[in-house]
Amino acid sequence: MTSEARPPDPVPEAAAEGQVVELPAGSRVTDVAIDELEMIYAFIYSRVGNRADAEDLTQQVAMKAIPRLRQGAPASAVRGYLFATARSVLGGFWSTRLGLSESELHEDLAMAMPQGGYSEESVERVRRILEQLSDNYRRVLELRFLHGYSLKEVAVEMRSTVGAVKVMQLRALRAAAKVRLDG
Amino acid sequence: MGERPENRVDRIVGGLLRGRRLKLRGGDAEEKEAIVMAARLAAARQGPQRMSPAFRQRLVKQLGASPQETWMTRRAALVAGLGVVAGAVGGGLLGRSLDGGGSQPSATAGKVVQPTNGRWIDVGALADFAPGQARMVRAGAVGAFVTRDGDSVSAVSSICSDLPCELWWDASQDALVCPCHNRTFTAQGSSNGMYKLRSLDVVQARVREGRVEVLGA
Repeated sequence: MTSEARPPDPVPEAAAEGQVVELPAGSRVTDVAIDELEMIYAFIYSRVGNRADAEDLTQQVAMKAIPRLRQGAPASAVRGYLFATARSVLGGFWSTRLGLSESELHEDLAMAMPQGGYSEESVERVRRILEQLSDNYRRVLELRFLHGYSLKEVAVEMRSTVGAVKVMQLRALRAAAKVRLDG
Repeated sequence: MGERPENRVDRIVGGLLRGRRLKLRGGDAEEKEAIVMAARLAAARQGPQRMSPAFRQRLVKQLGASPQETWMTRRAALVAGLGVVAGAVGGGLLGRSLDGGGSQPSATAGKVVQPTNGRWIDVGALADFAPGQARMVRAGAVGAFVTRDGDSVSAVSSICSDLPCELWWDASQDALVCPCHNRTFTAQGSSNGMYKLRSLDVVQARVREGRVEVLGA
């Protein structure tokens, strides 16, 4: 069964304390936030891998965070607040979809904030993860995910069978998930 | 019942690769690490993403933001008054490809900036341009990085091809850096990194009697 019990509504730490993040004077709150949401969208997309979910979650972030923003503080604070909200929303997403409590999700499983907050970091991270894998595992993931090959095409390329490739794909994903990168 | 783990994960992978929502069933949590990794890999295939114009508009409407305040319109403003003509290659806004694999398509080329009522503007003596170092110049409304190669010069737009931000030259990396998302380009405007962005727009430049001129407006 999937998760029947929805996780509690995720609230970022700052929001939980009733903190209000202020925005640069002279800017309209929503205008600034909309631009910052481009980065939030890229961040979320890099974690969920599809547009429909990324849009829903970005929208959730906007609806939760923007009413709490106010004129006056550095844009970096706004970004940090939006990312905190995004992490919280992502945590809720994964725990709902996987039927797990958020405490069961590892911090780095889906929610870790990229340094600098850009999705580019995610792409680079994936490249580094793949580099840590054995040749076969790396190859199967590259062909399948980065080149978009079907299982059958991967099997032909690797001179294997569809069944064996499916198993290898699973093992490669498990191995990739275990890779720990410094920094 | 009793779905084998490799089938379970491949079902999810198949959906992700088709761009579908993550649809998970009971028991899928057993493979949570593999599923989360699959989502990240599927995302990496697409490279850094931006909101679609339709989604952005929807957000703007919901939040009551000023509709004119968008990346695209600001970018348009940066090149206001300039007619940008497609160069050698057309293609999408964000031509991305993987490098290093050999079988991937190449990134789309930049466009040639053709200012309306353009005129050649002197931007300095050739001797002042260090070979191989991109130097920022302004030719009226056109911002460009000029690079000297012997007695000739080439130039690219000073605006990132992806986000409407002004680049800067990082001599330690020999690269033009976009401060908005840390993407880098060569002095000739090609995108660096695993995923290629569209190359920088080409700005026309020439040397006349020891002086560098850029086609500006």
